Amino acid sequence: MSLIECDNITKRYGSTLALDGVTLSLEAGAPIALIGPNGAGKTTLFSLLCGFLRASSGDVKIMGYSASDSRLHGRLAALPQDANLDPRFTVGHQLTMLARLQGMSSGVAHKEVLRVLDKVGLPEVIVKKPEALSHGMRKRVMLAQALMGSPELILLDEPTAGLDPPNVKVMRSLIAEAANNATFIISSHNLDELERVCKSVVHLEQGKLKGVVDIAQSRSSGYYTVVMAEMPVAANIIIASLKSLPSVNNVTFNEPNRFVIEYDAAQAGLDLTIMQCLSDKGWPYRQLVNGRTLEDQLYFGSE
Amino acid sequence: MRSVALIAWYELYRLFLTKRGLLSLLAFALVWFLILRYAIYGAAQFFSVDQVGGIIAGLFNSNIINNLMSWQVPEIAMFWVVMLYLLPIFCVMLAADQTASDRARGTLRILHLRASRDGIFFGRFIGQLLVLFFLIIIALATTLILVMMRDSTQLLPALRLSGIVLVNLMLVLLPYTALMAWVSSMARSARQATTYAVIIWIVCSILAGWLSRQFPELWVLDMVLPGSQVSSLLQLSGWNTLSLALIPIVQTVILLFLGRMIMQRSDW
Repeated sequence: MSLIECDNITKRYGSTLALDGVTLSLEAGAPIALIGPNGAGKTTLFSLLCGFLRASSGDVKIMGYSASDSRLHGRLAALPQDANLDPRFTVGHQLTMLARLQGMSSGVAHKEVLRVLDKVGLPEVIVKKPEALSHGMRKRVMLAQALMGSPELILLDEPTAGLDPPNVKVMRSLIAEAANNATFIISSHNLDELERVCKSVVHLEQGKLKGVVDIAQSRSSGYYTVVMAEMPVAANIIIASLKSLPSVNNVTFNEPNRFVIEYDAAQAGLDLTIMQCLSDKGWPYRQLVNGRTLEDQLYFGSE
Repeated sequence: MRSVALIAWYELYRLFLTKRGLLSLLAFALVWFLILRYAIYGAAQFFSVDQVGGIIAGLFNSNIINNLMSWQVPEIAMFWVVMLYLLPIFCVMLAADQTASDRARGTLRILHLRASRDGIFFGRFIGQLLVLFFLIIIALATTLILVMMRDSTQLLPALRLSGIVLVNLMLVLLPYTALMAWVSSMARSARQATTYAVIIWIVCSILAGWLSRQFPELWVLDMVLPGSQVSSLLQLSGWNTLSLALIPIVQTVILLFLGRMIMQRSDW
């Protein structure tokens, strides 16, 4: 049985088609990214999986149950993008209530709240109201509510949106740690972040499923990415030089300073040749990456 | 059922542990103090004197006044009249935000991961009834103290009457609370829910009035709105008042059905 089964799901908002016949099957395991440009349907799909929305047509099954089935309570957790706790109650009071709704007794619920708040590094906020917390702290509290109990599937909608780099790092390590016990599905625009955390990608565009991509494949041989420290000459001159190297099939330039080199995978030692070429020309580079970034693969790739 | 009970119980916390809840409680207490001190205490004095009661009976609807004068404890009789008109207003204000602001804030989404839509809807509805029940109990207790201060021998009959009044007031408040549960399921703030309730109320009363003039045989139209049985209730006494219980119960079932339908179908 798959973790998630979407069978030809469509969601309309009036005349707007937000999701168009998405069929998808995802298995439990490593974190999965849900990506796409604005309006691609990510939040709609996310909300359908959580049961916040009803599909106009099609069928959604999570662990064999329909999305809003009460048997998923406690097994499915989520951090909805713009959801907030009630500003009138303390964080501890509300999380305890949520834990009790998951079936815990009052004492167990209180201990569980302490555990998850400690996990997100915020044990002191238990007596505070949400209004008294910064944006980053609120996000971590919301992640804490998603970690309560032992959910098997955790959906995170833009978990790092609006967070500063230290908080992003905290969030990333929390997800990595929790990913040992649950499958994460993370919706985000931050491809660099997703690339670090996730192993596969569900790519949506204009409400349609463009594909499910294995991130590991993007790192496989066949591509090099050169990130220039500066652009001393025009991009087409650099492209021409790189294309002249043996076994290079194609070179594409992505603004402002990235070149993706497609080459014959059977050829070994091209990385040294590229570095030598750049050094000889006096073109400073910052990085030479084996493979392509997720962004290049999804939006600029030849596949 | 467990989630319904937990959510309902949480509404009592909302009354006692939040600033807004405590302000509502304070407002109720202040209004109630004024009513108790000047309306109930004063009027009970009048009613306990037959001649003055007779003057009042002559001035107002004699059936209602005569019925109220037949109550053994005048304070409870006055409590009954005042609460019949005051509590529905308070109920509409108090119960307006059953799900509205939680919907706008996204809190319903967090709840929905642990409770069904029905659990949230009926939990909040029952929670509001619990709050109202608690307020009536407090108000009744203060009235009983007033009775004790005047004549302690009337405590037992006052307790018996209190039971009748409590049951009837809860029945009267049922459809008002259900109405607010319905409009709250469509709204994104308490104010918006109250506005919806006012619009629905006015449209229904105009429509029902017009239809009942066109079709006088449709007597059921007189019972469309919550509280439509109140004037008839005032002419009854004792457990006879329950003869009208079916009206608010049917209204409540219909309003809850409408609210549940919206709650089930709405996107969050």
